Amino acid sequence: MQNFISGIAGFFTRLKSIHPLLPWGIALVVLLPLPQFTVNNYQVYLINFICIMIILATGLNIVKGFAGQVTVGHVALYAIGAYTSAVLSTKFGMPFYVNLPVSILAAMIAGVLVGIPSFRLEGAYLALATLAFAQAVEVYIRVTNYLGAASGIGGIKAPEFFGYSLRKYDDYFYLVMPIMLAAVYASFAILRSATGRAFMAVREDPISAASMGINVRRYKLIAFVMSAFYAGLAGSLYAHMLPGYVHPNNFTVIEMVTVLLMVVLGGIGNIWGGVIGAIIVTIVADITREYYFYQLLLFGAVIVGTVLFMPKGIGGIIDRYFVNRRFIAAREETAEVKRGIVGGSPDESSG
Amino acid sequence: MLEVKGLNKSFGGLHAIRDVDFSLPEGEIRGLIGPNGSGKSTFFNLLSGVYPVDSGTVEVNGKDLTNAEPHEVAGAGIARTFQLLRMFTEMTVLENVMIGYHNHVQYGPLAGVFGFGRVGREEKIIRREMMEVLAFIGLEDFADIPASELSIGQRRLLALGRAMAMKPRLLLLDEPAAGLSPVNVDHIMAIIVRMKEKFGLTVVIVEHILKVVMETCDRVSVLDHGVKIAEGLPQEVRDDEAVVEAYLGREMDDEEVKRAIHA
Ligand SMILES: Nc1ncnc2c1ncn2[C@@H]1O[C@H](COP(=O)(O)OP(=O)(O)O)[C@@H](O)[C@H]1O
Ligand SMILES: [Mg+2]
Repeated sequence: MQNFISGIAGFFTRLKSIHPLLPWGIALVVLLPLPQFTVNNYQVYLINFICIMIILATGLNIVKGFAGQVTVGHVALYAIGAYTSAVLSTKFGMPFYVNLPVSILAAMIAGVLVGIPSFRLEGAYLALATLAFAQAVEVYIRVTNYLGAASGIGGIKAPEFFGYSLRKYDDYFYLVMPIMLAAVYASFAILRSATGRAFMAVREDPISAASMGINVRRYKLIAFVMSAFYAGLAGSLYAHMLPGYVHPNNFTVIEMVTVLLMVVLGGIGNIWGGVIGAIIVTIVADITREYYFYQLLLFGAVIVGTVLFMPKGIGGIIDRYFVNRRFIAAREETAEVKRGIVGGSPDESSG
Repeated sequence: MLEVKGLNKSFGGLHAIRDVDFSLPEGEIRGLIGPNGSGKSTFFNLLSGVYPVDSGTVEVNGKDLTNAEPHEVAGAGIARTFQLLRMFTEMTVLENVMIGYHNHVQYGPLAGVFGFGRVGREEKIIRREMMEVLAFIGLEDFADIPASELSIGQRRLLALGRAMAMKPRLLLLDEPAAGLSPVNVDHIMAIIVRMKEKFGLTVVIVEHILKVVMETCDRVSVLDHGVKIAEGLPQEVRDDEAVVEAYLGREMDDEEVKRAIHA
């Protein structure tokens, strides 16, 4: 098992050295025939839904895992994305390619609102403030007739490209899966740059980070707005997927706990862990669907258990193999640079 | 270079900094000493924007930095270290110094997505430059381990490295040698002097033991109960009656006083 995992890790490292996008291209090609391996339509639906949940969880991981901001408002941003698309499609007859960017924009604006309390609040207080926001959004949807109130909005049109409608789950997969890969890639690309380092510095010690020149409020806001981008994207994709129906029950505290579990189980601040968490939790949530109201209890317990006994989550276990490799690679790179220093200016290496 | 006038700061009823004037010419290494609790760290926290001032002004190179935010102070070319270190313990040693370099990174916050080629190239250059910083402080062999695994002495070195990566003009060091053995104290003081000379820095070193700053500093200022009670050449300050009194007034036995002042 260990050899297998580190073998894969080595393979990807080599692919990346050829071109940074190569592993992603290969992942795309490998995933394309996935719907052919399903036995029924429902399984394809579930795969599509998993892709949406991966996008949602990746967004939460940015703000919570990397920047360390304890937000419980993420599902509300997802709801805003979904309802913006629902309204634009059903009330204004707008097409998907308009609704998607507008929904993302709406979620990002809301993301600024969720992010502002983080300037002054931390930890549990920030969680409470964002929870209040999430509850307000949910209640507002439930009582507003224009938004379908307690019966939701149906009849959202499937995306149409060049006259071809993605009405079947099989077709929708070819929209949602590449977007999911692009979203995961983008989060990697950003978090591995100076931006990701700034997020981590803000998480670990905001005063120290600020004294080293990082505008803490700016980076908190970037993290919140980035995560809102992901939530809005996921929401719009969810609304436009068959059956084209959104309901306030899709955006409750239970959904928030579910997404939180994906991130915690996967390993806070670990993108691959979050992806695996999203897959596992979505499948388990689906299997236990009949016990919907007990899910909160179950998932809450698993969150507490994970935090207590496996604080680095599933990603932490995988990392033990991957990081070992990365460590070796980094060591080699470091050694190379060092040789450069010693060779380049001998006066500096002495003393 | 640094011009502080009439600085005041209270915590509730405690007047931690009282009417402090502080003037520092370019290129000087200044010692700031005083017994524990005399307000040295508070003074740094006011300069670096960590605490807001009650009254008074802070000017650096003619630029008003009174109540500027910490990142603005850093942006004005002022680096500080913390008495309690405040390392990013979950990040590697190299990543710690890279945070110091943050304001010099050229690419934008979202450049990673579309400009991966450019980001990759610049990251390589940053990595090389930061390895040179680590080589300067002697931590190059620890680049890729988490900062949490460093010894206290190595952490004190890393604090200097993080400040150096910021490419500052003014360096504020809060007890840079606290918790170190005498040999390591000398080592770190030597590195500070080398750093100052190589980059033409102006430096303030906070210490509560006078002896440490004696050989290193051009001039010494003394705080007691938030008041600046003396300032001058190290020998003058050492023989100043008010200074001896300040150290004697504390709950220290004679041995400790002797060690603190002369030794
Ligand atoms: N954030 C704070 N809140 C309340 N009191 C403080 C705070 N920071 C420092 N003090 C008090 O201010 C005084 C000066 O502290 P400090 O500047 O840390 O002294 P020094 O660094 O010289 O040892 C002490 O009495 C300390 O208890
Ligand atoms: Mg102090």
